[in-house]
Amino acid sequence: MREEEWKNWSGSLSFKPGAILTPESEEEIVQLVKRARREKRKLRVVGVGHSSSPLVKTDDILLSLKHFKGVEAPDLEKNRATVLAGMTVKEAGKDLYRYGLAMHNTGDVDVQTIAGAIGTGTHGTGRELRNLSSMLVGVRMITGTGEIIDTNIEEDEELFRALRVAMGTCGIFIKMRLQLQPFFRLTRKEWCVPLDKCLGNLEELQERNRNFDFYWYPRSDMAKIRVMNKEGEKMPEIPYGKLTFKKEGDSHKVLPRSRHLKFDEMEYALPAKNGPECFLEVRREIKQKWRKGVAWRVLYRTIKADDAFLSSMYGRDSVTISLHHNAGLPFWEYFKAIEPIFRRYGGRPHWGKKHRLKAAELKELFPCWDDFQKYRERFDPDKVFLSPYMEELLIPEE
Amino acid sequence: MKAIGKIDWAFSAGRIPFKNNGEEPEFISHDKIAVLNTSEENAIVELLIFYEDQKPVGTYEILVRAKRLRKIRFNDLIAPEAVQLERNYSCLIQTNVPVVIQFSRMNTGANSNAEMSTIAFPVEPEK
Repeated sequence: MREEEWKNWSGSLSFKPGAILTPESEEEIVQLVKRARREKRKLRVVGVGHSSSPLVKTDDILLSLKHFKGVEAPDLEKNRATVLAGMTVKEAGKDLYRYGLAMHNTGDVDVQTIAGAIGTGTHGTGRELRNLSSMLVGVRMITGTGEIIDTNIEEDEELFRALRVAMGTCGIFIKMRLQLQPFFRLTRKEWCVPLDKCLGNLEELQERNRNFDFYWYPRSDMAKIRVMNKEGEKMPEIPYGKLTFKKEGDSHKVLPRSRHLKFDEMEYALPAKNGPECFLEVRREIKQKWRKGVAWRVLYRTIKADDAFLSSMYGRDSVTISLHHNAGLPFWEYFKAIEPIFRRYGGRPHWGKKHRLKAAELKELFPCWDDFQKYRERFDPDKVFLSPYMEELLIPEE
Repeated sequence: MKAIGKIDWAFSAGRIPFKNNGEEPEFISHDKIAVLNTSEENAIVELLIFYEDQKPVGTYEILVRAKRLRKIRFNDLIAPEAVQLERNYSCLIQTNVPVVIQFSRMNTGANSNAEMSTIAFPVEPEK
């Protein structure tokens, strides 16, 4: 047991947990949860700390599953495998590849744990691709009462609508059974283009490519178009742009892009139809008021609807727009000024990134909010997994 | 080809204008340096930005290929952090091979464009 300050990846979140524990066995975790429940303590599970919202903030027990690594039981007929909860997206991608399997999509960043990415509805880009949470088809978890539950989507489909985006509030995932794909190769190309050309061709770029997104650069008003398609599939011609990057290879090596610079981020998911208009308003606001200090890009992505109760893409094909700012520089005034624009266009926040919403506001954004709460209360009746911040997030004030 | 220029440069009157008129990116007000590398080696250009009221920020590292020129807009620098617009700054520029550096500013904030250019200060090596 250690007492030390904990810092997230970007450095914008730091706190001193009562204890940081790194159990090595399932039984150890069961005992920890039972004791926490008995002593009315709180327990949060932390991955690698990539999230910048205070999901893991606690002055009580912080649990790391870094000793739970590996891939088990690959099934090449159903394209499924079990991934242990301490695996990062990068580690899982590499390990699954050895069995001829791959995740359908990931984001630019692959340093997060898979469990954290699933629990927060993290996603990549692609109009026909769902978020990473949608891969979850089975789980072995320890509930807030210390009970071990081992189940799969065939046994209880609705349960998985709750578990897929649960931020660690229904139980501690030990193993996750994932729906995968046979491994595949991708071609990635990136072009620097004038923004009006990017927006003028937006519909076609989204429609004709497996993965498409663009960055907008506030200081130059230029855009970077980024496209990925399966090897052998047609790549677009972009006569109006300058090719700046090309890469071919296995999906787990081509999907992520190396990120040596740290940043803080706010992201909202909007109904896809609102994406372009919202983006233009955000751009206008940044150009008029913020680019004196803000030079970091704005990222525009697409993502397919899903049915997880707390997914930001619940029930609607979505566009996500994210703001970035150098880690270490003041970001809140900028983020706070843009957040109302996202909200006006029907935005739902990314759970793992900066936002200022609390339960009363969030409840209105998620149509199946109450369905989720039933499962959460069932699995954690004594709120062992609800730190003060998680209560603010999930329990509206009376 | 012979390498010409210096390996240490500086300019002191940096200030990126905030206001713009006209189409972007062509008419965005900016500060810029043009780096000429006549040598046979790639030049690693390191920028250190000085402010009036805080410690220097940097280094910003930029590659200029052998026997090429490259224009670097200060507006676009983001690593390690964005250079603030409408704020006085100065810049120390160091490279691994001799280069020639010219500084220029475009200000489109008024109705007509204003441009200025000057050679950056070439630092003589200590004797």
